Amino acid sequence: MAWYQVKGNDTDTVISTRIRLARNIEGYAFGHRLDDEGKSAVIDKIEAALSGEGFTKTDVAALPPVSAEALAEEHLISPQFAAAKGPRALFRNDGKSIYVMAPEEDHIRLQCILPGLALRDAFLVACATEERLDAALPLAFDEHLGYLTHCPTNLGTGLRASVMLFLPALSDRGMISSLSHQLSKLGLTIRGTWGEGSSSHGAIYQVSNQVTLGLTEEDILSKLEEATASIIAAERKARRDITGEARLVREDRIHRAEGILRYATRLSSEELFSLYKDLKQGVCEGLITSMTNEDLNTLLIHAQPAMLTYREGSDRLSPSARDARRATFIKNALEVTKHG
Amino acid sequence: MKCEKCNQNEATFFYQEQINGHATKVALCQQCAAKAGLLSGQSDPFSILLGGFPSLSYRTARPKSTAPAATCPSCGATLTELMHEGRVGCAACYRTFKAQLAPSIRAMHGNATHTGRTPAKRADVPTQAATNEALCTKEEALRDALKQAIAREDFEKAAALRDEIRALQAKEDT
Repeated sequence: MAWYQVKGNDTDTVISTRIRLARNIEGYAFGHRLDDEGKSAVIDKIEAALSGEGFTKTDVAALPPVSAEALAEEHLISPQFAAAKGPRALFRNDGKSIYVMAPEEDHIRLQCILPGLALRDAFLVACATEERLDAALPLAFDEHLGYLTHCPTNLGTGLRASVMLFLPALSDRGMISSLSHQLSKLGLTIRGTWGEGSSSHGAIYQVSNQVTLGLTEEDILSKLEEATASIIAAERKARRDITGEARLVREDRIHRAEGILRYATRLSSEELFSLYKDLKQGVCEGLITSMTNEDLNTLLIHAQPAMLTYREGSDRLSPSARDARRATFIKNALEVTKHG
Repeated sequence: MKCEKCNQNEATFFYQEQINGHATKVALCQQCAAKAGLLSGQSDPFSILLGGFPSLSYRTARPKSTAPAATCPSCGATLTELMHEGRVGCAACYRTFKAQLAPSIRAMHGNATHTGRTPAKRADVPTQAATNEALCTKEEALRDALKQAIAREDFEKAAALRDEIRALQAKEDT
């Protein structure tokens, strides 16, 4: 099962946790300076290092574009990796939720993605794989600069720890920019995801560490953990503070969102994202009982353009055909969850 | 320009040093310079700031510190390309363009040094060049610490640091 289909902790406010480690192999050029031969050599070395660890290799370069995009929509690879040219592979161990892109911007981009809040667990899983790579490969390292990376912003630990948060109440109160200001003082950043620029469709935000050099991994995780706990508490309080008429208006919105999902015959991904906020609140507060958090995550991810096209067994669907298929797909999925 | 130490009087005493192409400037007023023993008649302010060792003052004149390589011997990237791209070409670039990249890295991460996990086994057996490089880096750190000790008039600490630098340099010259 994929990360989004599994139950996690604090899923009313935390959608997922991601740990990413950037590593490079000494002796090979980084990024675009690495030619195809070098890329293939890097892939071979990583494949050999990970053999016997339960990883499956996907030759991303050989996939049809829609399949590669679908992997990006599942957050298993980056959109840049999906669209890149030349040899590249994904090593995946779905049982452990660990995914290694090779070569991305760095030769090794290793990530563990888990549902809900699970920073420590994700870090331990990522480290186990990193240690395996470290034992087999000469990783580029400098005593002062730490792990050497293509972009100097990742120097040091090469660690990007992030939590994907669902913050509808703080978002409605216009508190995200003040939160952003406070987080930046702690060396953390917040950005809207699954949306364009600053506007975050579905009230989904990603909080991650900005600083990678000079702090231990423990410092980074603790800081992010503390900040996340404060944000969760603030979001829950803001939700409790919605009372009276405002609560009734919100309940109405939640039921309308569920109604659209059940009865619409055409649904754009834009509209689905805008409904997500109300649907997830409905699920979290028990107003929508026909599906769980995990069902909703699955719906949202499987209804994205490339996933939908891929699952329909097609190479390409027009936006209009896709909107119709999306509505049908969701209606069918809701029937399954209701009876499941 | 105000004195960098007292931040009150006008700075009249300036010095600048170049280490691997990176310039460090200090500006002090007459009083602070005198307190730091910089106006005692010695002709070489560098040597005083560096603990009284003229041999340490002109480290930049050593062949290995001058004329940084224009091209990375490993991946062929030039410094101009790296600066333009904002990305580093390979692990060796970090060594080749160490001094030139240092200000950018400092701007991103401050004066931080890696404190996190380390590889179980190091990527390469340290070569003599790498060992010298490590010694140089340590020496730079000591020289920074020495300057700070002098600035805060902690001459006891400064003397200890001076001895440490001297020992390190002796090791490097062997």
